[in-house]
Amino acid sequence: MTAAALSHKFKDLNIDISLVESDHIGTVGVGEATLPHIRFFNQALGIDEATFMKSTEATFKLGIEFCDWGRKGDHYIHPFGDYGVPIDELDFHQFWLKLRKAGGTHRLSDYSYPILAAEQGRFRIPEGDLNEIGSNFGYAYQFDAGLYAKFLRTFSEANGVRRVEGRAVEVGIDGESGNISSIKLEDGHVIEADLFVDCSGFRGLLIEQELKTGYDDWSHWLPCNRAVAVPCESRGELRPYTRATARTAGWQWRIPLQHRTGNGHVYWNEFISDDEATHQLMSTLDGPALAEPKQLFFKTGRRKKFWNRNVVSIGLSAGFLEPLESTSIHLIQEGITTLIELFPRDGVNPLDINEYNARMGLNFERVRDFLLLHYVATQRDDSEMWRYFQAMELPDSLQEKLSAWNARGYVLQYEFGVFLPPSWVAVMHGQNLIPEGHDPRVDRYSIADIEARLEQIRLDTVREVETTPTQVDFLRRHGAASGSPLVSAGKM
Amino acid sequence: MTTRSKTIIICGGGLAGSLATLSLSLSLGSEYHIVQVGGINARHEDHLYGGATDPGSYNFLLRLGLDEPTLMLRSATSFSFGTHFRQWLDGRSWMQCHHAPLPTPSGIPLRHYLTRENAGLEPLLISAQAALAGKFAHPPADPRSVLASAEYGYQFDADEWVALLDRKIGETSARRINAEIRSIIHESATRSVVNLDTGEPLEADLVVDASGLSRYPIEAAGGTFRTSRSIGFSLSKTPSDALGPPCRTIDADETGWKATTHLQNARHTLRVSEAGMASDEAAAHTAALGHLVEAWVGNCVAIGHAASVFEPLTPAPMMMLQRDIERLLELIPTHADPGIERREFNRRFRNDVEHVAIFHGALITIDSAPETEYWRAAREQTASGKLDRKLAQFSNRGLLTSFDLEPFNEEDWTIAHWGMGRRPHQHNRQVDGVSDTQSQSELGQIRNSVQQLVTKMPPHHLYVGKLKQYLEKQNYA
Ligand SMILES: Cc1cc2nc3c(=O)[nH]c(=O)nc-3n(C[C@H](O)[C@H](O)[C@H](O)COP(=O)(O)OP(=O)(O)OC[C@H]3O[C@@H](n4cnc5c(N)ncnc54)[C@H](O)[C@@H]3O)c2cc1C
Repeated sequence: MTAAALSHKFKDLNIDISLVESDHIGTVGVGEATLPHIRFFNQALGIDEATFMKSTEATFKLGIEFCDWGRKGDHYIHPFGDYGVPIDELDFHQFWLKLRKAGGTHRLSDYSYPILAAEQGRFRIPEGDLNEIGSNFGYAYQFDAGLYAKFLRTFSEANGVRRVEGRAVEVGIDGESGNISSIKLEDGHVIEADLFVDCSGFRGLLIEQELKTGYDDWSHWLPCNRAVAVPCESRGELRPYTRATARTAGWQWRIPLQHRTGNGHVYWNEFISDDEATHQLMSTLDGPALAEPKQLFFKTGRRKKFWNRNVVSIGLSAGFLEPLESTSIHLIQEGITTLIELFPRDGVNPLDINEYNARMGLNFERVRDFLLLHYVATQRDDSEMWRYFQAMELPDSLQEKLSAWNARGYVLQYEFGVFLPPSWVAVMHGQNLIPEGHDPRVDRYSIADIEARLEQIRLDTVREVETTPTQVDFLRRHGAASGSPLVSAGKM
Repeated sequence: MTTRSKTIIICGGGLAGSLATLSLSLSLGSEYHIVQVGGINARHEDHLYGGATDPGSYNFLLRLGLDEPTLMLRSATSFSFGTHFRQWLDGRSWMQCHHAPLPTPSGIPLRHYLTRENAGLEPLLISAQAALAGKFAHPPADPRSVLASAEYGYQFDADEWVALLDRKIGETSARRINAEIRSIIHESATRSVVNLDTGEPLEADLVVDASGLSRYPIEAAGGTFRTSRSIGFSLSKTPSDALGPPCRTIDADETGWKATTHLQNARHTLRVSEAGMASDEAAAHTAALGHLVEAWVGNCVAIGHAASVFEPLTPAPMMMLQRDIERLLELIPTHADPGIERREFNRRFRNDVEHVAIFHGALITIDSAPETEYWRAAREQTASGKLDRKLAQFSNRGLLTSFDLEPFNEEDWTIAHWGMGRRPHQHNRQVDGVSDTQSQSELGQIRNSVQQLVTKMPPHHLYVGKLKQYLEKQNYA
């Protein structure tokens, strides 16, 4: 992604970009679900959506279904979009809260176009007035990350990026500045550069192994430290959402692509063995596994400096936050956008480094709080892991958010950070935190008035969903990959 | 606080008190008794609001039933494209205009092109050029029009607005008492008794301190006002039939500055100087600049000048007042213990205060400001880590560092930096991919279309005159 974006943005400049990767080492091989922002990344690169969908076996994503998080047996969808529409500039959910107390029976989800569409396997691209029901949502993709990497590699090479295959075994340091001056590959080939972007994954080849930048360990907040991943055959209907199911010592993902379904179990090895975690995963697949399960190890946290000297770490080398809300690729994108804005001219300026580190630090922190929310906004205490979270002392920022929500359905406001108030509403409400009070301004409306307004919004939403094609139909016209089992399974 | 009825007492009969009273009465249901106790604040203090608003005031006032026809027909309100710093420090002069997001040719922010071309920003800003030429027209909805990127607020007379608000309050169920407050006893975090000079004791669940500089209610609740500097101010009103330009004009001198507001029937000149300096105007008043450490203490919430006092160099005082009220409306307590609301209100208040302070700091931070008492004191107030970061990043490469929910947006900052003569040392590398010829031609095109449009726009006074005729014909009056 970094090579593609830099080569596109700076294609008219005298900047040589080399992409060094080792076929022998390979990539982490997971990372399939994304956030809506990925569309802007592709658009900025001028990538045609249908071509991209086809090349990466992508499906559309309207949100994430969370199963068993609040209580066992529960499920809710965190949509990319709002609930209802604001009424006289007041948040819709406040009216819903009041009506619910007066006996209203409809779910908050019944007023969300993306949730209803997701539940019914439907999809279309939002068009028209983005404040209107049926258009006030976003969407992302679920794709084969390996194919996306290949797609972008081809794109980068067409933009003049020099791809070098080989394993970096040695790093050259400039004696005077302490900056990295070169990397040497196994075959003796030396690559010199002014700036290095470390996208070497968890190992942090340059940022950590060489520069010893250090890591802020956040595992006391997010202690899951392992995952086992396996693809399986697609079965049943193709759903336009990712699923995250809570387990006793972690959670399991299910990401439907056109040609297969990605699965994984993220867990805390303190409370479950690798074998048991693998067993749990393999026994709950939709269809036959398509590969051997792959084991992954990680530690939640962030590099102390994302940008250190002339090395910018992007991707897993910068830090790791579990993929519960599909944020890693988004953080990569944020890193790239910020790097482009701060791209050095004559050597690296400490001011640029400070700004980059401050911005990315904020991004990571705000994602961390949101992920932690899922583990602590719960009634579950049926295993050691859930009891650990029940006893946890939360970061002040998160504690305050929970208190304000529980008291009156108010979401603390911040401008920056990827998750906006509707996301917080989705998770807190979805995990059974029903506020005690509501915004008193809603009390100037009578129950009958609220009931009538909400019913109108609900019916409008249902009507919009009914006119929406199924995802499969939509894909057939827009980005179906040739030969995908989904497409050939009699649905075309 | 949701079952039995509640009483909210607003202390203050000025602009803050009346805006808050009307906002609360219109926003809350019948189980809230809204009581406004007037008489506590001196009217001249409202002059410190500066007589100018930012574009956010349009919707704010509309929600209160004060639409533009009412403002134009029933008061001397006029339009404002911003503030013209006509004679500012070190001879600087620019139009600090309100503007929609600036163009981004080839996806790159305009300021980077300007840096490379060493070009001026002002000729590219329609609201700046129109204001400087004394012209005004409403920005159309069609985004293709150059004028669509102009944004405007109002120039107003605070006394007139209070009168308009009071009439509106009269149409609500709010009770108004014209009395002096003798004492306030904050009995608990949820109950206060306000004793009036009429002998009437009023019980309140929540007290809103809109008492201006007196700050009696919030101080009685334990609030602390932090100040390090005082200013003297006075307002003179000169009747005038000729409506001036759609902007305020500010001129600085050794001892302070003065702002001229151009209304339909008068020119108001606000003079701000060092506290205690003899003024050539009739009555000079004093105000301590600063802010409460916490604007919500116990069950008392301070708004407007009771909470923070900024020099009205920009529409910041009105922006703060509006934010104070909006924050309060969003956080009317629902529980016996308003701790959550209080903490959140104070968190946002502190951020707002800090962000206004750094914007004003950016207008004062200059090496060559006069070495007089007034400007030395002004400069000493500007120290802030956030401002340092903003200034350093802008000077380095034209980067606009932003913080959560700042009242002044990227356009405001860009225009202020340019106006203050700050230029980035280098431009963003992306601009290197666009040829000089291409960027000069893009800039030239914007400049030309702005210029052409301004020549066609009507003078402010004619526009307002025609608008009023039209509104009268439509029976708006
Ligand atoms: C269990 C799990 C699930 C995830 N799910 C999601 C998800 O759903 N959504 C999401 O957004 N993100 C997800 N992620 C994160 C996502 O996978 C990564 O952010 C993304 O794949 C980027 O990884 P990377 O390029 O940083 O590292 P890698 O994929 O590890 O790539 C490292 C690259 O560096 C090269 N390299 C390393 N060392 C050398 C060397 N010495 N010499 C030469 N080349 C070298 C490798 O060959 C490889 O090309 C998940 C991560 C994990 C662990």
